[in-house]
Amino acid sequence: MLLSFENLGPWRIALGIIAALVTAFLVCPLVLIVMLSFDSSPWLVFPPPHWTLRWYRELFTDPDWLGSFMVSLEVGLTVTVLSVLLGLITAIGISRTRTAWRPACETAFLMPMILPVVVTAIALYAFFLRIHLNGTFCGFVIAHLILALPFSVGAILNGLAHIDPAIENAAVLCGSSRTYAIMRITLPSLRPALFSAAIFSFLASWDEVVVAIFMASPSLQTVPVRIWGNLQQDLSPVIAAVSTVLIVLSGLFIFGANFMKSEKK
Amino acid sequence: MRRIVLTLAMMMALPAVIPAAAYAVDAPVFTSWGGSTEAMQARNWLEPFTKKTGIPVLKDGPTNYGKFQAMVESGNVAWDVVDVEADFAAKAARDGLLEPLGLPASDLMQIDPRFVSPYSVGSFYFSFVLGYANPQGPHPANWREFFDIAHFPGKRALYKFPSPGVLEIALLADGVPPDQLYPLDLDRAFRKLDTIKSAIRWWSSGAQSQQMMAAGSVTAGMFWNGRLRALQEGGVDVGISWEQNITVADMLVIPRGARHADVARQLIGYAISAAPQAAFAHMTGYAPINLASLALMTPEDRMAAPQAHADSHIDPDIAYWAAHHDEIARRWYAWQAE
Amino acid sequence: MSIFPTRRLRVARGPWLESYGLLLPGLIFLAVFFVIPLCLMLMLSFTVPSLGLEHYRTLFFTSAYRRIFANTFLLATLVTAVSLALGLPVAWFLAIAPRRWSQPVQLVLILSMWTNLLARTYAWVVLLQDTGPINQTLLALHLIAEPLPLMNSLFAVTVGMTYIMLPFVVFPLRNRIAMLEPALFQAATLCGASRMTSFRRIFLPAIATTLGSAGVSVFVMSLGYYVTPSLLGSESRMVLAELIAQLVQSVLDWGLAGAAALVLLVMTLFLYGVQRRLNRQPHTTP
Repeated sequence: MLLSFENLGPWRIALGIIAALVTAFLVCPLVLIVMLSFDSSPWLVFPPPHWTLRWYRELFTDPDWLGSFMVSLEVGLTVTVLSVLLGLITAIGISRTRTAWRPACETAFLMPMILPVVVTAIALYAFFLRIHLNGTFCGFVIAHLILALPFSVGAILNGLAHIDPAIENAAVLCGSSRTYAIMRITLPSLRPALFSAAIFSFLASWDEVVVAIFMASPSLQTVPVRIWGNLQQDLSPVIAAVSTVLIVLSGLFIFGANFMKSEKK
Repeated sequence: MRRIVLTLAMMMALPAVIPAAAYAVDAPVFTSWGGSTEAMQARNWLEPFTKKTGIPVLKDGPTNYGKFQAMVESGNVAWDVVDVEADFAAKAARDGLLEPLGLPASDLMQIDPRFVSPYSVGSFYFSFVLGYANPQGPHPANWREFFDIAHFPGKRALYKFPSPGVLEIALLADGVPPDQLYPLDLDRAFRKLDTIKSAIRWWSSGAQSQQMMAAGSVTAGMFWNGRLRALQEGGVDVGISWEQNITVADMLVIPRGARHADVARQLIGYAISAAPQAAFAHMTGYAPINLASLALMTPEDRMAAPQAHADSHIDPDIAYWAAHHDEIARRWYAWQAE
Repeated sequence: MSIFPTRRLRVARGPWLESYGLLLPGLIFLAVFFVIPLCLMLMLSFTVPSLGLEHYRTLFFTSAYRRIFANTFLLATLVTAVSLALGLPVAWFLAIAPRRWSQPVQLVLILSMWTNLLARTYAWVVLLQDTGPINQTLLALHLIAEPLPLMNSLFAVTVGMTYIMLPFVVFPLRNRIAMLEPALFQAATLCGASRMTSFRRIFLPAIATTLGSAGVSVFVMSLGYYVTPSLLGSESRMVLAELIAQLVQSVLDWGLAGAAALVLLVMTLFLYGVQRRLNRQPHTTP
């Protein structure tokens, strides 16, 4: 009776305990960051000697940090749009490729996700220097698009797998053009897949640091780049404040997504 | 089908359209190590320079020698003035990675001659000093005692990267007289370091070294003098021993092929002049490389900076380091990884 | 990493441009901005400073570099083992526990997954340091006499990376377990099988491929990981990704870095091949 929680007997307790411990393991760092962001000591002393809002004041009055949020957002959104468009075209292309070629195509588009980011980052940096794309917005977007594309292609392919191609084909048989059939039949039913493609693409850029370190320039410092620099040089509790803001943002987003899902039901 | 082609065309065009105006600011770029030191360089050098000349200066960083080299070799150089370590400056000059400075003699008249070369000039200088916890109780007071873990137990903080400092103090602790340090006896230095290897905590940034000391992770260490002063001012109880302190400068250089080399020279000329150097020293506890700055500093600032302890200081041989850096670096990292 | 569906669409043949033509923009993009840069960098390992295989000899026959390979594999193995050991029970719990209990666990998983990577790593820096909460608690309870050296150790990196990898194990496994047929287990019980027997004879074999595929994914991701080892790790436990960054950034040896990168790529690709194989096997229910 391994699939019925009520009938697991002593195993139920074991599962429950492990799940609780792992949850605690996952929550602890998040709680700690939030606490540290109110810690008055600049040297990460724990428990905090006093509580303070100083780090939030520093964060919200620092034009560099605010600028970084804007840059992250601009890069992230541009990458998302391009990644979903290119991912959609590519995924449809892959789904129509002859079976023998298909694994090769899938693998090719997956590569940037599988290969170590350090290698990609260094290679792109050296290449972009030669073609004068380094430190430009365009270069930054291209670099993150490379990393985001596999997520988008994957999500959309997954969506396509759950659509019966017979419907699209039926429309074509009835005289519709293939393009029209895609626009009116396939795309609408792909909406959830496109949505997850967009989210994954955005996160792939928003959260990315290694490639970003190499693509950054004075006017293009994303939030992770700034955090990284700070971790390397300053270890200032402002990072805790930034991190708390980021945690709250993801929390709100998850809450919103959940809310939308339950609305639909 | 037409729509797909259209979409494609738009996609290809999009990246080309977006970047333009908003991001392409054509201004010289000053690159340093980030953190509080860079913030002070910006406040005391860059901002007044902009106010005086009307030329805006952008900041980038942290300094990354891999990026530096790749930029120069590709001929696409984004940086104009870069703050680098002295041994890298010497090595880069030798490898042809730098633009000659060609500063007018009037700019250089007051500069400490130790920190002037055709390709680089001092940014500021500091000392690697011995910092210790528990100043009232027993504590190591010199490098020999620093390596004596039996009498002064606890972890030791050391600078992580292969540059003048750690190998020198190991040899000094082992009894090598200061005037016979070079060429470095690497075998002997690593043997000495082996004796405390398990107690070493490496720090890669000033803030990290401060944090180790403040959190009590180490009982003693080799620190940049300014970072210890900041700890003391922040209320942390640490002591400083200046005995056989190792003075090292950061250097300002212009990468070969820099786009704003002329403005870069102007900026460097301003940064090394007496008043900006004195203001920087006041806020960081590091030493000005301009001898005329001393007159502009308060007695307290002068006491906190390395030149007050010049009688006990040691100048590392930068030329030796530049010539042997690669070889030492390889061995250093291999030893660290053991 | 099994986000590609195993089920295949039947090929709907249209004009060339509407099938293969659609692949072109993506392929061109990939070739120009991924394949070419990579090849240029990897080529340096054969050409700089002189033509030959010198760098590979250095890499394979220097004890320090060999140790780095060993560290890399050790770390990836540890992270994979711990992630699977913790991930399986959690996935199981999520698949079968009542919603009011599983939902909070799932929310926490998602929240931690979506929290900035650096923020999570930073939290571990603080948690694990000598004067961090863990050591202070242990000291206060008199369980230890002096702080445990948790930071900058294999332990720290393993913990930090397990934290990041856990969702990649939990979610595929949860989906797989949720797909299992309850009737099978009822039948086993009727035939007198104990829980342990059902677990060993039915449950484990049924999820084996998913477990294997998740394990290989985590292993592959861990092999090339840079951020966590460089922030939480120690010099004596350096891994391959750190070596590559160090060679480029401070030793300025692009040739050797290219060689190390190529070795890392080959290992990654090989393991990816293994994982594809595992994924391709149909999920068999014995």
